[in-house]
Amino acid sequence: MLRIHHHFMIGGSLLLLLILPLMIIALKRHERSATPRLAIIQDMDKMPYLKPQRKSDLFADGRGMRPHIPGTLAREDFIYINQAETRLHPNNWAATHVVLNSKVKYEKVLYGQVLRNGQGDWVKSIPIHVTPEFVNRGELKFDVYCGPCHGDNGKGNGLVNQYVTHLRAQGSPDAGTWVQPTDLTGPAVKYMPDGQIYGVVTNGIAAMAAYKDQIPVVDRWAIVAYVRALELASAPVPAGKLPVQDRPASPPGKAASAAHPGMQVAAASAARQTQ
Amino acid sequence: MSEKPSFVFPKWINKATLGLLATLAIAPVYLIILLGYGANARTLNVGFSPKQPVPFSHALHAGKLGINCYYCHTDVMRAAFAALPPTQTCLNCHAEIAPNSKKLQPIRDSYGLGPASKAGLPVPWIKVNDEPDYVYFNHAAHINAGVSCLTCHGRVNEMTQVYQAKPLNMAWCLACHRNPGPNLRPRNEVTNLNWNPNNKVQLARDLGLKESQLPKNLGKYLVKKYKIASTKLLTDCQTCHH
Repeated sequence: MLRIHHHFMIGGSLLLLLILPLMIIALKRHERSATPRLAIIQDMDKMPYLKPQRKSDLFADGRGMRPHIPGTLAREDFIYINQAETRLHPNNWAATHVVLNSKVKYEKVLYGQVLRNGQGDWVKSIPIHVTPEFVNRGELKFDVYCGPCHGDNGKGNGLVNQYVTHLRAQGSPDAGTWVQPTDLTGPAVKYMPDGQIYGVVTNGIAAMAAYKDQIPVVDRWAIVAYVRALELASAPVPAGKLPVQDRPASPPGKAASAAHPGMQVAAASAARQTQ
Repeated sequence: MSEKPSFVFPKWINKATLGLLATLAIAPVYLIILLGYGANARTLNVGFSPKQPVPFSHALHAGKLGINCYYCHTDVMRAAFAALPPTQTCLNCHAEIAPNSKKLQPIRDSYGLGPASKAGLPVPWIKVNDEPDYVYFNHAAHINAGVSCLTCHGRVNEMTQVYQAKPLNMAWCLACHRNPGPNLRPRNEVTNLNWNPNNKVQLARDLGLKESQLPKNLGKYLVKKYKIASTKLLTDCQTCHH
């Protein structure tokens, strides 16, 4: 009897010894670890060449990737100036080289201004050919960069604004010096020339930061186009100005006419969204 | 006269031999299980979650506040590398919101609002999802093919501290390169981590189709629409190791 007991003890502890490593592994699989993976064979996982944003001892600040040099243009900005078409590349959704009409002056596009008698004057309308795709692109970019604060409908009450309002109501010091963003469909923006809206996106205004480093030139113009579309969408639209499929059964006599056909479509689709 | 044998195996040897044979039979199986379980990529790679210099919460920014991935990882649509944002991007909001937060001190130092010795120096963020240097992963190529952030990074919008969610080893990459369809979605939903493929209204809008025109097999449709390279090319060595 005692002997059998003894065997079970040995067998049991052996089994436990065998299971223990498996249990440790199972635990580790579900734990987070602050140290990187165990690399037994290093191969060439880490090579001394530079990858983006990697550290480099060559420079005093340790940055392998060098900051933008003031007064210079990125290569892609240069492309805008040099090519001679004005449409989005149909097969390349991410391409930013919507390119200029050769007649358009580059400062119009890059700065949203024309120089008159040594003074900058905002361009009145978007110096890029506006198509429905261009406005759709503007919507995408607007939702990314403007939507968080101004709201996807441009009314100035995005989720960030709602959150900070909530913080302030709780008396949290984190609410800081926040002011509610401007209603982009309101009069403050309505009477701005397109170039000035572009200027605000580019250089910022009041508490709003400059977005020239985050949004490429053409996308900023696409945003301007979409802001105009939102404006149209929030304003009452005469039936005659609606696209055909959205008109009431008996259409008024005059045919629709608008400066940018793309905006009509976008305005209608934005209107459908907000319904 | 009987001579005593010089050596006789003790009786317990009978049992010990059995035990030895059993051990020899079980040991390789056990070792294979142990190695397969312990040294696989899922065990080794997943869960890496270093403490960052600033406790930036994706769960708050990308989740609760709904800020799109592109807002900070600006160039990911156009570049191979999903760049971490410059300090300026943080200051877009944090010049106003939580301007005196202690947690944000490294950000203010980097921006030049702290001691002069730290002004202009980058915040030393730690890279979490890292491929070996002989792998050329291109973010833009994947995003333009309609592969969501979710596929490789997991539910970042629910992470308070980012961790590696997927093994990111070669076998894992190849599983998708052999059959990309199931991991594709409309391009403008790439950063929508809560995308619901069964929302027909949204899907029709994304694809510019009527609801009645929606494809039966979305993956197959997108492979064609986005001109995804053939499996033969996608599994070629030089596609990722060039």
